[in-house]
Order: sequence, then structure tokens, then C-alpha cells
Amino acid sequence: MTGAILDTAFAAAFALAEPAADAAHGAATHAGDHGAGHGGMSGGALMALIPLLPLFAAALVGLLACFNEKSKLPAYASVGILGVSFLLTLITYLGWDGHSVIRVGLWDWISLSWGDGVGESLTANFAFYFDGLSLLWMLFVTGLATLIGLYASEYMSHDVGLGYCRFFGAFNLFVFSMSCLVMGDNLLMLFLGWEGVGLCSYLLIGYYYKKKAAVDAGMKAFVVNRIGDLGLLIGTLLTFTTFGSVEYASLFESINANTTATGAPLDATWQVWAIPLLLMAGAFGKSAQLFFYVWLPDAMEGPTPVSALIHAATMVTAGVYLVARMMPLYVADSHLIALTVVTWGGAITAFWAATIAMAQYDIKRIMGYSTISQLGYMFAGLGVLATTGGVFHVFTHAFFKATLFLSCGAVMHGFAGQLDLRKLSGLWKVPGFQIVTIAMLIGCLNLAGFPLTAGYFSKDMILAEAFTTPDSQIGASSWAGWLMLLTAGLTAYYTFRVFFRVFVGPVEYHAGDEDHGGDHEVDAEAAAAIDESHEDDAAHGHHGFHPHAPGWAMNLVLVVLAGASILAAGLYFVGDHHGWAGGMVHGSATYFDPAHVGDHAAAVIGEAGESADDHAAHAHGTILGMDPHKVMYYISGVVGFVGIGIAFVLHFAGRTEAATSKADALARAIEPVHRWAEGKWFVDEFYNFIIVTPLKVISHLFHWFDKLVIDGIVELFGGAPKVGSDTLAPASQTGVLHDYALRMIAGVAVVLVVVALVLY
Amino acid sequence: MIQAGFETGLLLAQAPFPEAMGAATLNHYLFVSAAMFALGLIGFMTRRNLIIMFLCTELMFQAAGLAMIAFGRYHMNFDGQTFVIFVLTIAAAEAAMALALVVLLFRKRESLDADLWAELKG
Amino acid sequence: MDAATLESTIHPLLLYVACAVGALGVIIAMPRKGVSPALIGGVLAAAAAGMVIMGLLLTRPEGAGMPNLFFHAFAILALGGGLRMITHPKPVYAALYFILTIIASSGLYLLLSAEFMAFALIIIYAGAILITYLFVIMLATQSPDETQDEALSVYDSTAREPIAATTAGFVLLALLTTMLFRGTGGLPIRPGLDSSDAILASLPGKVEDALLRDLREAELLDESEGFARMGDTGKLVIDTEARTILAAPLVIEGAADEIVETNRYVEVPEEMWPEELEGTNVEALGLNLLGEHPMTIEIAGIVLLMAMLGATVLARKQVDLEEEAKARQQRRLAVEGRR
Repeated sequence: MTGAILDTAFAAAFALAEPAADAAHGAATHAGDHGAGHGGMSGGALMALIPLLPLFAAALVGLLACFNEKSKLPAYASVGILGVSFLLTLITYLGWDGHSVIRVGLWDWISLSWGDGVGESLTANFAFYFDGLSLLWMLFVTGLATLIGLYASEYMSHDVGLGYCRFFGAFNLFVFSMSCLVMGDNLLMLFLGWEGVGLCSYLLIGYYYKKKAAVDAGMKAFVVNRIGDLGLLIGTLLTFTTFGSVEYASLFESINANTTATGAPLDATWQVWAIPLLLMAGAFGKSAQLFFYVWLPDAMEGPTPVSALIHAATMVTAGVYLVARMMPLYVADSHLIALTVVTWGGAITAFWAATIAMAQYDIKRIMGYSTISQLGYMFAGLGVLATTGGVFHVFTHAFFKATLFLSCGAVMHGFAGQLDLRKLSGLWKVPGFQIVTIAMLIGCLNLAGFPLTAGYFSKDMILAEAFTTPDSQIGASSWAGWLMLLTAGLTAYYTFRVFFRVFVGPVEYHAGDEDHGGDHEVDAEAAAAIDESHEDDAAHGHHGFHPHAPGWAMNLVLVVLAGASILAAGLYFVGDHHGWAGGMVHGSATYFDPAHVGDHAAAVIGEAGESADDHAAHAHGTILGMDPHKVMYYISGVVGFVGIGIAFVLHFAGRTEAATSKADALARAIEPVHRWAEGKWFVDEFYNFIIVTPLKVISHLFHWFDKLVIDGIVELFGGAPKVGSDTLAPASQTGVLHDYALRMIAGVAVVLVVVALVLY
Repeated sequence: MIQAGFETGLLLAQAPFPEAMGAATLNHYLFVSAAMFALGLIGFMTRRNLIIMFLCTELMFQAAGLAMIAFGRYHMNFDGQTFVIFVLTIAAAEAAMALALVVLLFRKRESLDADLWAELKG
Repeated sequence: MDAATLESTIHPLLLYVACAVGALGVIIAMPRKGVSPALIGGVLAAAAAGMVIMGLLLTRPEGAGMPNLFFHAFAILALGGGLRMITHPKPVYAALYFILTIIASSGLYLLLSAEFMAFALIIIYAGAILITYLFVIMLATQSPDETQDEALSVYDSTAREPIAATTAGFVLLALLTTMLFRGTGGLPIRPGLDSSDAILASLPGKVEDALLRDLREAELLDESEGFARMGDTGKLVIDTEARTILAAPLVIEGAADEIVETNRYVEVPEEMWPEELEGTNVEALGLNLLGEHPMTIEIAGIVLLMAMLGATVLARKQVDLEEEAKARQQRRLAVEGRR
């Protein structure tokens, strides 16, 4: 039935597909000549279903909530629908010719006009924009959402009922919002999705709304994101005032032609660096980069599937997407100011977060910080003009970080919320956790940049490009490269610190006390039931606690994701343009030729020039006098090995119990540094001191001003007659009708006497 | 047609009705109206029986109606009379509601004394 | 001091003295414990009214005569009824006196050429509203117990603050009527006469029914002629002074242009001009009501409906039949049903 309705809707809507070369004209004409598109109605309808199906699923789950559904139906319905959405994305991808832009219009969303001139009308249709970039994003967004939804169906099983519906409702809504963000045809659609994912993130972080930490974390995420979103909003408005449009097609056309709405050359205006910087503020907020990253570690209070999907794989990469999408604008500035800031912001964030991650004990938080760190890599990659590397890293990271998070979630699920790596050890030998351990190992290898893993290749592309890009283009990019190389070592260390502490070594575990915020009895009972056959494990002195091994859904998802993480490495060798991701980027509307960037503002965008591969033709930077593209494989491999080795020595070799390791001695040796790193460099406290405290003081001042002065004036007017009547005429309030009537008449008589005296 | 003097009053009685009234001025009617209104007002203030109080309001309605018809007559249009129709309407509605309320109040206290209802004392 | 100055000072003074006397009369007539000489009060109040009428006489316009007997009779009846209504201790009598006031008022309405309103007043007020009042009075009056001689409640037999209230009321009256003594012209003769043309013209059916056939029989109007209508309003063109009416040839299809030239005024003979052809008060009122205040009628209807509903809701008695009574009722119904 739904399909029929949608089909009718799409028959009325306009749908078109046109080659990239024509895309530029689309903005002005696509409302008129919708019959001309050769994408066909059915194709457009299928593509439009990709975001609409999750929306439908959200509504369906809401409906189920209304009927008080007490089964796992919401989860399976969601997974099914998301799966269809993924399949549609896949079909779209397979049918995509590799270079064109497909635009699918649904309906006129915003269409304002207050004049005939340029920039005096605003068009933002509810339309979708498919090119390589958005297809790549949509592939892993819908794919991972399906898998993680399946995982969550088991993970959230302790909450079956309204909570379950709430979770999946927000989950589906998130996928819809993310689709709008990625597939939107204009910046306003992107903003709509941007705020939508922010809202869903808030809802899901605060899923355990009875837990104060979770509620606070949700609020923090929301508030911190608002600051960045302000930048995005102003950037969008500035884009509109500058180019007279917010639609990608016409924006890219203007940027290509190096003109603004007024016809002035774009690279001579201040907007050319202001807009990218403002958009970058939004991106940094959403992607938890420098100054804004504080919300992400706290967001780990949400259920683990949420952390995996939203706060590791998809939503936090929205910032990367924004920068990648608006790349033509970034490279339009001949000084590349914004890109330099992006590079250094990313590199410093990567290093900074890695140092914090090294000293944390909560494994999920470590993963959170590593996400921040890896996002830093992605931004740095974009900054050093390695869009392919950045985007590929987004792709690979999505899989291996989801794997890592879901493994952590399995541990958390099995050990009643225990996440402290000092209280878990040797899980490899705990029955039922072998798959988790293997998945974790694969994730860790990827994250650490172990040679020939997907993470290794994607990280290499960024690192190599950081050295390749001349310092004259991006300020001191090779220094950023060194910093990132160091960070790669740190990453390998803290990643395997977790692995060696938790998954191997002597068997020892202590149950967590909070049981991931849900019910307590059910889980304990389930654990007891499942592990009945493993009575002997209790001999390890775990106070009769039985770990709760993950079920089929969680294991299946872990296997699939781990497999995908491995297979993603193969994508590096596919295609002509630095792997599959390179091909996708190359085929997107935002492709540019890095060789030309900075020469002049009119960087050739969308041009099918093959010169991008031809690095030899251009002077570029080196690493210690060698070609970065050739030696980086070895250098980063060595760095990864060193990090893993240090972790092995400090956290595995000779460790006899869970709580201590040789690293403790080292930590004591550098006690102040360790304490500061463990305290996350006290950034939260610093922010509290410089922002929250003054705000509170000011609010209190305003509160008292409001209460004393404003309210005082109001109450004076109300209170004076009351006091007057209470003190002067208490006897007059008799309540007897006649008295009031008499006084009223007497009053009228007095007035009339006055009137008569004046008249006569 | 225009009769002068009180002594011709008896003759007037035989005169055609509308024409005989030429001698009365608007002021005469307005005075009757004002006096009637004042009586209603005084009654409202002095009588303690709820029903009589409402009767007094009806008297005030009457006074207003008389004034309106007199004005309408003086200004030669029918709006005054039209308005009296609406005054009658409102009076009827008011009587229905007021009497229903009176019956309710009477049921509560078994008395029509307005002074018994003084809960709104300040 | 010339006569004019004397007049202008006497009139307000006369009025104020009259008000004072009237107030005294009302105070005396008010019900109270012991004697309440309503008769003395009434006489005083009547004297006051007489003084006012004298004052009004002094300010009458040049050449205007006294109002006739009917006005005085109705005014005295209305005011006397009102006075007695507010002073009579027994509610039923008060209501009856109010009916007297109503009837006297309708007499005044008649004098004011408002015939329809006069009778409507009697029907609605005296007939409907006051009867409702009487019902409620009877419903809500306590039956006398053994200690009381008659069914007169304390709250009926004593006035509340008679002096203050009466003073306030008469001060108000004096102030309201001060202006009256500046004088106005006499009432215009025959209201509606000026506009009866228009009223008649708005009532084509009436004119045609009465005149068309007669005029044709008298051959003053040709068979092919009818009454002309104004193009924009569709009204007839009647001159009541000259007793003429505009006639026009009956409209023939396709020949509309030639009509204008053959229009003519037909003089209606005296005996053919029926009296009822003048616009009456009811017709004028109806036209005014429906033509100019249609929305108000709707609102009045809604007000009445709401009042009806409100009264129903308010006065609904919470009947709390006992179980036994209910059972009895059911048995009775069952027996009746079997019959």
C-alpha cells in the first residue's frame, strides 16, 4: 500500500538524471524540464525511497509503540526496512555510470522570491543529489545501520517494550536525517539533516534518561553542537548572500566560474575564506574536533550500538562530508587559509585525543577518543588535499570502528556494564567470547595501522599526502605529517593496550555494577541460564557472576563487520584513481585536481583530467628526501609495529592480574603528565571555568534582576491597590451585593456631578 | 393639527391618535424613562429579595427601551424600535438564566435573601 | 432679574426640589418594620412628578402645547407602578405592579407610534417573562410556619439602606435630567410619513395587489402596461403626495430600449388609494430589522439558544430516586406496558 502511495507521489514529483556536465544548469531549469531527465521515474522513485524508507520505519515503530508492542518486532521491522534501503542504495550504485550527478526532486520545499534580481530568490527543493561522494556515504550509512540495527535487536533486548520502540524510532529517524544530510540537494537540506542527526544523537545519548550522566551527556552534546551549528548556519547564509543560491549545482557552477552573485571575482572577496571557515566550525562541532570534541567521550553514555553507528561510523563523519562536499569552495581560495586550519585542526586533534586515550581505563571511552583522533586524521587528509585519503579513511574507519565498538558492547553486555580494563582480563578464554575477541583483534589491527589492513592503507594515503603536499600550499603540512605519524604510533599503543589487557592474559573479570542502565534481574537471570553449563568458571572467584555470552545476532554482526573491515583493504586496489574511494571521489561533483590548487582560484572541478595521477609532472614535497607515496607504507608500518610492541611489553608480557601492569611503573615515573592525561588535560574543567561559570554567574545576576526589579515593578502595580484596600478600606469588602451596587451607583453619581459642574 | 394648551386635552382624545401626540416633547419621555430607571436602581439597591432585584433590572431595561423608542421617534428612524426588539431578546434570555440561578440559590439556602450570599468577602 | 434668568434658575431648582421630594416619598414608601405609609409616599412622589412636569412645561418650545392626557396618565401609571413595585413587600404584588408598569409603557409606546413594539411588549413581557417570574416567585416562597401570621419573609418586609440608596438614585436622576431642561422641539408629526414612499416602494406586492387590477379595470392603465421598476433596486416609483405611480409598458423580449420613452406617471384617483397602502409601522420595522440588522438577528437567536440551554442545565434538578421508588416505577411501567 505504501509503495502505491509513494509511486503516485513520485509520479507527480519531478525526477531527473542528467550528466555532470549539465548539472550546472540544473538549478535554474530543473523545475521546468523535469520530463527531460533520462533517469526515469522509477529510478528516481527508488532513490527517493532510500531516505524515505527509514522515515517510514520510524513512523511504523512509533505506531508499534502506540500499540505497546512487547516483542522484538520493532527491531526486525527496522532492520528489514533499513536492509531494503541499503539494497536500493546498492542498486543505485550499481546503476551509476561512475561520473554523472543524479538529481531526484521530490517536491518544492522552500521557494521564495522577493525580487527579480540575482540573489533575490531562494530555492531549496526537497531533492536529492547523487554523486560519488554521497553514494559512498550512503553505502556505509545504510549498510552499517542495517547491521548495527540487527546487533541492537539483541543488545537492547533487556528493554523490550516502549524503550525498545523509542530506541528504534530514534535509530530510524537518525538514518533518515543522515540520508537527508548526505543526499540533500542543497545546503538547507544538509542543514535539515544536520539538525536531525543532532536531535537523534541527543535522544539516543540520553536513552537511559534515568541516569543523570546520560542526560547530562546528551545535553552537552546538544549544546556543544549548537555552537558549531551556528557556524554552519552563518556559513550557509553567507553562501546564499554570496552566490545567491544554496543548491550545490549552481554553487559549483559559480565557483567553477570564479564569480559571485554580483559578478565579482570570487577569489578577491573575503567570503572565499570566511565561508569555508564558518562551515568548518560546523564540521568541527559535529565531528568532535578541536575545541568542540568534549561532547563525544561523554556521548559514550548512550547504548553501545548508538556509539557504534552514530558516534563512530556515521554522524561524526558528517563534518568530513561537509568539508569534502564543499571542497571546491575550500580550494577556491588561492591562499588556502581554511584548508590550512582544517589540516592543523585535524592533526592536533588527532594527537591530542590520542594522548588522552593512552591514559584512560574505560575501554569505550578509549574508543571514543580514538574516534576523535581518527576524525582528526580525516580532516587532516582533506586539508592536505587528499580528499580520496580522507574519504577512504571515513569508509574504512566506519567499519573497523563499528567493529571495535560492537565488540566493546558485547563485553559490556556480557559483563554487566563492566568497561574498566583493570577489571577485565583474558576474555579470549571466557566461553562465548572467542568471536568477540577475534573481531576485536581485527578492529584493533585496522585501527593500529597494521600492514595490509584497510586502516593501514587509508591512513597511509593521508600521511603520504601530508608530506606530498608542498608546505607552500598548506602551511607546514609536512610538520602536520610528522605529528600524525607520531600519533599513529600512539594509536597503535593505546589500541593494543586495550586488547592485551582485556582480551588476552590471565582470566579475571569482575561484573559491572550498573548493568548498562537497564533492568538488573532479567539480565542476571539470562546470564545464569545461559552459562549454567559453565559452573566451573565461577571457580575464578567472580562471586558467582556468569558472563553473558553474545547471542547469534551480535556474533553474526561482528563476523560480518570484521569481514568487511578486512575486505575493505581490497578496495584500495580497485580502480584507476587510488582505489575504489578515489574512483568515487573522482566521479563526484566535488572532484578537483590537487595539482592545480593554489595556482589560481579557478581550480578545474569536475574536469575528467587524468593529470591528478600524474604526480611526477608537479613539484611536491618529500619525506626525508624520498617519495612519500613509496616509503610511507614502510614508515607507517614500522611505526605501527613499534606501538604494538610497546603495548605488548608493557601490558601483556608477564602480566599476572587484571589490575596492574608494567605500565603502572612508567605512569608513576611521569606522574604529573599521566595524571593530566588521565584527567583529559582538564579541558572540561577549563571550559567550565571560562564559559560555564561566568554564564552561571551572569544568569544568577539576571535572575535576581528579574526577580527583584522586573517582578518588583509588576507586583508593585498589583500589590499597591491590594495593600491600599486592605489598609484603607477593609470594611468595604463585605461581599454583599447591595453594598457593591450602592457604591457603584454612588461612583457614577460622583462622576456625573463632576461632569455637570464642568458643563454648567 | 397642533393642539395648544391643556384645556383642549379632552378634545385631543377624539383626535386621530398619532397626530394628537405632537405636543409632547422628547424631554417628557426621557424624563419618564430616567425616573423609571432611577426607580429600578433604587429598587435594586434596597430590596433583598433576589427575584425582586431581578424585576428591578427588568424595570431598568424598560426605561432604556422607552428612551430608545422615544429617540427613534424623534429622529424619525426605526433603529430605536429594532433595538428594543433586541433588548427584549436579551431580557428574555437574562430572565431565563437569572431565574434558573435564583432557583438554584434558593435550593441551597431555602431563602431568597441576597445578603446570605456574601462569600466573596475580602 | 429678567424673566429668562428667572426661568433658567427656577428650572433646575424646581427639578432638584422635585427630586428631593420624590426621594422623600420613596423613602417613606419603602417597606420597613412597623408602619410603611406607602400612600403618603406615593402622594409625595406624585407631587414631585407634577413639579417636574411643570418644569418641563416652562421649557417647552414656543408654540408647543402641553402633552395630552394620555401621556400624563401613562407616565403616572408607569412611574406609580414602578414605585409600588419596588416598595411592595410581597413579591407577587411587586410582579403584578410591574405588569402595570409594562402596560403603561406600552401605552407610551403607542403614543410614540411604535404600535408593534407596544403589543410585542405586552405579549413578551407581561405575557411571558412576568409569568415566568410569577412561577418562580411561587416556587421559591417558603410556606408560612405556625409562628408567622402571613408568608412574608424578613428580607421582603424590610428594605436595606433605603435612605442611602434612594438618595443615590435620586441624585443620579437629578443629574440625568438636568440636561432635559435645556429644551427640545416637539416630536415630529407622523413618523414614517416621509419615508412611506420608500417603504411602499419596497413592498411591490402590496401595491400591485391593491392597485394594478383596479387601475386596469378603470382603464387608467393599459393592458400592456405595468408598474415601472427602478433598474438598480427593483423598487416602484411612487409619489404619495401627488398620488401618482410610474407606469411602464410590460417588457417585451428584445424591445427593452424603447421602454423609456413610453413611461408615464399614472394619477391614482382618491377613492382607489387605499389607506393600507401607506407603509405601516410593522412593515417599516420589519424592513429595518431584516434589511439593516440581519446579523444581529442571528446573534440574538444564538443568545436565546444559549440561554435556553443554560437555563436547562442550571435548573436541572438532581433527581435522586431511591431504589425502592425506582423499582416501583419500573413495576408500574411494566404493568402499563402489558396493557
